[in-house]
Amino acid sequence: MAQVKYVAASRVYAKDAPPAVSALDLDIKDGEFMVLVGPSGSGKTTALRMLAGLEPLDGGRVEIGDRDVTFVHPKDRDIAMVFQNYALYPNKTVAENMGFALKMQGVAREERDRRVREAARLLDLDDKLLDRKPKALSGGQRQRVAMGRAIVREPQVFLMDEPLSNLDAKLRVQTRSQIAELQRRLGITTVYVTHDQVEAMTMGHRVAVLAGGQLQQCDTPRQLYDNPVNQFVAGFIGSPAMNLQKVPLTEGGARLAGTTLPLPLAVRTAAKQAGLTELVIGIRPEHMHLANGAGELPGEVLLVEELGADALLHVRLAEVDSPVVARTEGRKSPAPGQQVTFRVQPDDVFAFHPVTGARLAG
Amino acid sequence: MTVIEGVAAPPPTVEVRPREVSRRERWQRRLPLLPALVYTVLVTQIPFLVTLWYSFQSYFWNTPSPAHFNGLSNYKTVFTNAAFRGSLVRSVVMTVTAVIVAMILGVAFAMLLDRKFIGRGVVRTLIITPFLVMPAAAALVWAGPMLDPNFGLLNYLLQPFGVHHVAWLSTHALGSVIVVMIWQWMPFMTLIILAGLQSQPPDTLEAAKVDGAGAFATFRELTLPHLRPYIELGILLGSIYLVNVFDAVRLMTNGGPGTATTNLPFYLFQQVNNAFDIGGAAATGVVTVVLTIIVATFALRMFARVFQFEEGGV
Amino acid sequence: MSAVTLRAVEPRPQKLREMSAQVGWGILAWVLGIAFFLPVLWMVLTAFKPESAAQTWPPKFVFSPTLAEFRLVFSGWGPYVTHSLIATIGSTILVLLLGVPASYALSVHPVGRWRDGLFFFISTKMLPIVAAIGPLYVIALKAHLLDSIWLLIILYTAMNLPLAIWMIRSFMLEVPRELLEAARLDGAGRIREITEVIMPVVSPGLVSTALICVIFAWNELFLALNLTVTNAATMPMFLISSVPQEGLYLAHLSAAATVASVPVILVGWIAQRSLVRGLAMGAIK
Repeated sequence: MAQVKYVAASRVYAKDAPPAVSALDLDIKDGEFMVLVGPSGSGKTTALRMLAGLEPLDGGRVEIGDRDVTFVHPKDRDIAMVFQNYALYPNKTVAENMGFALKMQGVAREERDRRVREAARLLDLDDKLLDRKPKALSGGQRQRVAMGRAIVREPQVFLMDEPLSNLDAKLRVQTRSQIAELQRRLGITTVYVTHDQVEAMTMGHRVAVLAGGQLQQCDTPRQLYDNPVNQFVAGFIGSPAMNLQKVPLTEGGARLAGTTLPLPLAVRTAAKQAGLTELVIGIRPEHMHLANGAGELPGEVLLVEELGADALLHVRLAEVDSPVVARTEGRKSPAPGQQVTFRVQPDDVFAFHPVTGARLAG
Repeated sequence: MTVIEGVAAPPPTVEVRPREVSRRERWQRRLPLLPALVYTVLVTQIPFLVTLWYSFQSYFWNTPSPAHFNGLSNYKTVFTNAAFRGSLVRSVVMTVTAVIVAMILGVAFAMLLDRKFIGRGVVRTLIITPFLVMPAAAALVWAGPMLDPNFGLLNYLLQPFGVHHVAWLSTHALGSVIVVMIWQWMPFMTLIILAGLQSQPPDTLEAAKVDGAGAFATFRELTLPHLRPYIELGILLGSIYLVNVFDAVRLMTNGGPGTATTNLPFYLFQQVNNAFDIGGAAATGVVTVVLTIIVATFALRMFARVFQFEEGGV
Repeated sequence: MSAVTLRAVEPRPQKLREMSAQVGWGILAWVLGIAFFLPVLWMVLTAFKPESAAQTWPPKFVFSPTLAEFRLVFSGWGPYVTHSLIATIGSTILVLLLGVPASYALSVHPVGRWRDGLFFFISTKMLPIVAAIGPLYVIALKAHLLDSIWLLIILYTAMNLPLAIWMIRSFMLEVPRELLEAARLDGAGRIREITEVIMPVVSPGLVSTALICVIFAWNELFLALNLTVTNAATMPMFLISSVPQEGLYLAHLSAAATVASVPVILVGWIAQRSLVRGLAMGAIK
């Protein structure tokens, strides 16, 4: 079994500084593809490196399988890692790069060659490339060699540190699906770090959102999208981002753009219990429905972004300072400068505590 | 839907005009180079031509007769002269030994200095000092206060090891001179190798850690190959300077005892200063230059990487 | 959020092992560093000894210091140090005057056959100057340059120029291409390009180069020995003259050696970073 556990794992760099990773509790199931996502400085890479053994723990422990590996040397953890800049050995050929770990383990040459060739086939790496040095390869090829180096080891856990960030956009999309499919085929537990929430949503079985060294929420992509547990997750997951606005509470709802937006009873109750006079509401762009004249929220279109099938409208709502984004069908989008109105379903409105960011009555 | 790969009309043939840097531009580029070039040619090539001229002459400084042509006789003397051959051999032995030992020590010291420890900067300062010391001063200090048979520091420090008042410059003359050469040039090697170590990308070292390479394996498989161009550069530059070492020989042993420490530079010095044989010295000089060119060509071919000049240009 | 509980007070065994290994290497480095420095230390120590204390067995580490030897040294060094200063500074200035444009012509706007040019300069360094010393003497004599400080300046410049060009060139290659292109678009001509774009970026490198030229020029013995007598005799010559043929004068020669070496040592120490950067970087490219 190769489940991975972080138990209250912490990493602190300087004595009085906030922890880089703060008491992380995460259970990763055997064979799961877990994505750690968050903005830079969120602690996701540090957490990965703690699992790899490249960063020591200042608190808590890490387990691989049923073993406490907190003090185990990286080479004895039975893991393989794909680095952000690939970290290929520049003076070795592709084949030697991929076979290096096996050589260190004392595996015989024929066995090494066999496994290298197999991994190369799996990754669509041409045999000709096996004798080249990394500097003669393209970025995409180098990325695949880095992956091959990890695959050859047949480890218990794959660790990947933003492996796609150095590829151009088109290659990134292509490789994304290849990695996901590869993981499905091999069934090896994978911990994958990225700052790109699209990657996180499309690749992971579950996604752990980190911010400021703390775990915000760990859930399936669908759950993260539909049921964010706080304002950060709500605003981080989903592209374009959820529209968030601090609004005052009124009878029966909240005041937005000159009208009262009805809020569910549960939300109102929770707000009253917390003694709030205002809260932050969030509405996803696709939940802002264009209603020709019949909608409650009026505004003026500032900018139209054509995406082909859809269009994104940047709208200035009445009494709202920053523009909001709404998604409409591409063919029927209004023009800039036009006055429009929007209708929103009460169930589509998220409400968050204005100070803690916690979801009210989720 | 079938995907039709980029079918496009064949690109129109474009006539390419040969790129021409204007004459004016070319001379504008050459101009800044000319002063240094002309200067170097004058100051280095003229003496060489004169040397060549004199090598075919019999010219003795201490006789009244003027120089007169004597064909290849000087050259014949050079090649049959055991003293010349001896000094050649000794030059090779001294240079090769000093360069190799200095490089090995340099790598070792660089690895030590690459780690963090208290006072690292101070230790580095201490280590580069031998390179800064005037070679003449180093030679005199080693010959006297360090190696003196009766009052020298080295004999004192080695006493616990059973060494008693050794006259280093008599019994181990060549070794002593080589030690001083190594002492002065190890810092140079250390600095070059240190630059190499610090230019190693740290994430490949981490990858090696994860891949299971211990310290020794990492050094052998990753660090050493990475250091290769730096080592080659150090050996090349070090050899260029070490083969011309004169100060230590002149001031420590004066070429002796006998000719035990006479290398090429010292041999030439003796020819001019003691034998007053300008013609002979010239011929020896020309032979030395030819030999140097042959060795250098081999060396450059071996160390081709060093001369992969980075091209500039806007 | 609960506060993070940090590691307990006792260091874990593994960390202790790592720490002691690190301290161990540090100690080794210190020991070796001091051992390497010992001859220099001994030289300076001996310089403060009266001659009688310098010739003892066992060698003395504790003694009553005296400046007697230094006084002797300073009473005689006047012309020598002046000549050394003139030759060193003069040749270094000339090297920079010739070398900067030459490096420019071999890097930023390279001439057609820059590879050949660079190779030519390096090749002059590979040919031993010792080979031409006889004829050089004759030429100098005929040109009335024997025992002249100008001769030393000329020869030291030729001696250091190839290394200087190699180093300055590599520093110029570091100037970002975009900077040069932006200057060109802004209408900067060649001169402006050198003074306003290249020089600011390259000046630390020029300092390193100048330092290395100073070191080699100040320390040079062979040419000074063969081509000067009194009017241009430099510090290395002074050093030799302070070691009489007969007799052992360990303290005196230590004092002379110290005085001769200290200027360059101090300069090298102070500008250490620059020197290291220049040697390592300038030589690598």
